[in-house]
Amino acid sequence: MDLLEYQVKEWLRIIGIPVLPCQRIDHPTDLKRLTIRYPIVLKSQVYGGERAKAGGVRFVETTIDAIATAQMMFNLPIWGELPEVLLAESKYIPEQEFYLAVVLDTAVCRPVLLGCTEADIDWESPGAKMQHVVVEQEFSPFYARRLALNMGLQGRLMQSVSCIVEKMYQLFVQKDLDLLEINPLGVSASGEVMALNGKVSINERAIGRHPELGEIAVKIANRHSRNSSNGKLRNDDELKLQGKIGILGNGTGSIMATLDLVTNAGGKPGSCLNLRHAFLADVVPTTFCHRLRKGLKILAADKSIQVILLNLIGSIPQTEEVAEIISNFAQHEKSRINSATIKPSSKSLTESHCPRLVVRIVGSEFNVTQNILATLNSQTDALTVLENLDEAVAVAVRLSKVITRNCKVNSNEKLI
Amino acid sequence: MNLTPDSKVLIYGFSEFITATHVNQMKAYGTNLVAGVNPGCGGQQLYNLPIFDLVEEVVGKFGAIDTAIICVNPYEVLDAALETMASKINQIIIISGGVPPLDMVKLLRKTEATETLIVGPNSPGIIVPGKILLGTQPRELYTPGGVGIVSRSSTLTYEVAWELTKAGLGQSISVSIGSDTIVGSSFLQWLQILDEDETTEAIVLVGQPGGDSEEAAARYIAEAIDKPVVAYIAGRHATTAKNWRQSGTLATVIGRKPNFGTAQSKLTAFKKAKVPVADRPSAIPELLKLPA
Repeated sequence: MDLLEYQVKEWLRIIGIPVLPCQRIDHPTDLKRLTIRYPIVLKSQVYGGERAKAGGVRFVETTIDAIATAQMMFNLPIWGELPEVLLAESKYIPEQEFYLAVVLDTAVCRPVLLGCTEADIDWESPGAKMQHVVVEQEFSPFYARRLALNMGLQGRLMQSVSCIVEKMYQLFVQKDLDLLEINPLGVSASGEVMALNGKVSINERAIGRHPELGEIAVKIANRHSRNSSNGKLRNDDELKLQGKIGILGNGTGSIMATLDLVTNAGGKPGSCLNLRHAFLADVVPTTFCHRLRKGLKILAADKSIQVILLNLIGSIPQTEEVAEIISNFAQHEKSRINSATIKPSSKSLTESHCPRLVVRIVGSEFNVTQNILATLNSQTDALTVLENLDEAVAVAVRLSKVITRNCKVNSNEKLI
Repeated sequence: MNLTPDSKVLIYGFSEFITATHVNQMKAYGTNLVAGVNPGCGGQQLYNLPIFDLVEEVVGKFGAIDTAIICVNPYEVLDAALETMASKINQIIIISGGVPPLDMVKLLRKTEATETLIVGPNSPGIIVPGKILLGTQPRELYTPGGVGIVSRSSTLTYEVAWELTKAGLGQSISVSIGSDTIVGSSFLQWLQILDEDETTEAIVLVGQPGGDSEEAAARYIAEAIDKPVVAYIAGRHATTAKNWRQSGTLATVIGRKPNFGTAQSKLTAFKKAKVPVADRPSAIPELLKLPA
């Protein structure tokens, strides 16, 4: 989960990293009550990078000028994203610009400090200019000094930069971040440093122990559902694809394997959901059954999905409830299919969306579930239950193709 | 690694991922479960296990403990592991998933210094079919035999075991090192253990996108492993968003290839190491070519 610049700067200010005087603008008229001095810069608060190129950064000299510019900026999408907030900030011309970052490197299992004496980095080949220091043991300020020295800094500037890195590290640990970046760090002629822009990625796994982040996460999730292009909520347990076969499973590995098998069998995987963990926007603890119910609902609501492939292996708590959820879902879909076929003129299959459910289930705890479902299996074509994964995939792919063909026939009939 | 059936085991925490069935399964398998630790519940009984408030109380009562299985809330994992280590227990299996990565960084700094073996987090643990079960692996999918399995996934490990069992190929040891982004024990450690293990005749390595542990394993297999190894990589068609965790900028910044962490990079590594790669779990048995 990423934060916006004004949120990042608030954090930087609190931890003691110098930032320019700035003010959050929710509405152009807020500029009438500006407490910072002109000239100022107005910055569009969006997630996309390089916003200056898209007109997201403007210098203004007077209140009239500022209000007119702000009005325009609130209506100017930056790479497709409209800002909800602008940031008004004192104008500042640095002598030099640096890049600084603390990032969690999962390959070495340690945080890494990054630094460069240029802010405009060619990420394809940063080469030798970018310095890095791995924080092997418990952090101590010498790691920050090592980075500053590696960057070629000396004397007072070396100390003020390492001091910034030290505070960045504190913030990184305090808030459970994946990335904290100051880019650029402005350096004045007199050697004063100033964080001019910053970026923060929060590790989703730790959101639950930071109530203030939980609130932001819920806001982003809500915004995400309104406008999918705006979302910056990264979710390990969700994979969004556009295909017709939605996949649910009780582990990342088997979901990925299922996705590969579907693709190899000529099918098109749609959204995949992992039911092992709580979903990101869940603020209260959930049970497996809760997630299964929700997962089925999410996939059924996705109009592009025609078949839901549920792959469960191993052991799950509340096996009887699992069977109940699956059979309820199948019964519900069955009644919808029936009502659709009885009244073909009013509602064709293309309009009423009713995905078929293919369930692959294996493991002794699932015997109960299997037995309950076996009786349903023969009753309804909305549900297929199998034990062999390759077969379940083949059935799901075949069903998705049959449904597509039927839909085409239906819509052709409608045309005639 | 002490995997003998008489080694003493405790369970720390009883979250969603460990149920009565799991505990009973372990007991039925002959695992020497001596006690449980659940702060605030000391003196009670749970699943027929005596419950204590502190690990040191268990050690005081039953003597040295070989393995602790941790199943607390992910935010309490670090504390539980540190408490376990303070009682000189040096084999820790962490079932809980979604442990904050910086907690793992803190823990690994300590375990690397004390040579404590951490399996997980987000791992169903270890099973030696027919001998001992340490964790939540579904025993009914396993059968004793000569194939060692090392994996990062939980469910995919079961999937592979099930395919082997169906094909009449039993298993010697199966371990999942855990599917969180930062985990304790590595593929390399387990390849070495499986290579030295006398019952293991062949090894199946199950990987997935993210990190570079499969690549490191491929190099290690080419250099040091004499037993036949078959690999399976899930997620070839999963288009993961480029982020600092798996690939992209950080990779190039500190001198890694742009395809760092991708399934493709792993497949290439195994090809280079001349390790056969199965394209689906059900294709693994024939690649093993063991006399049935």
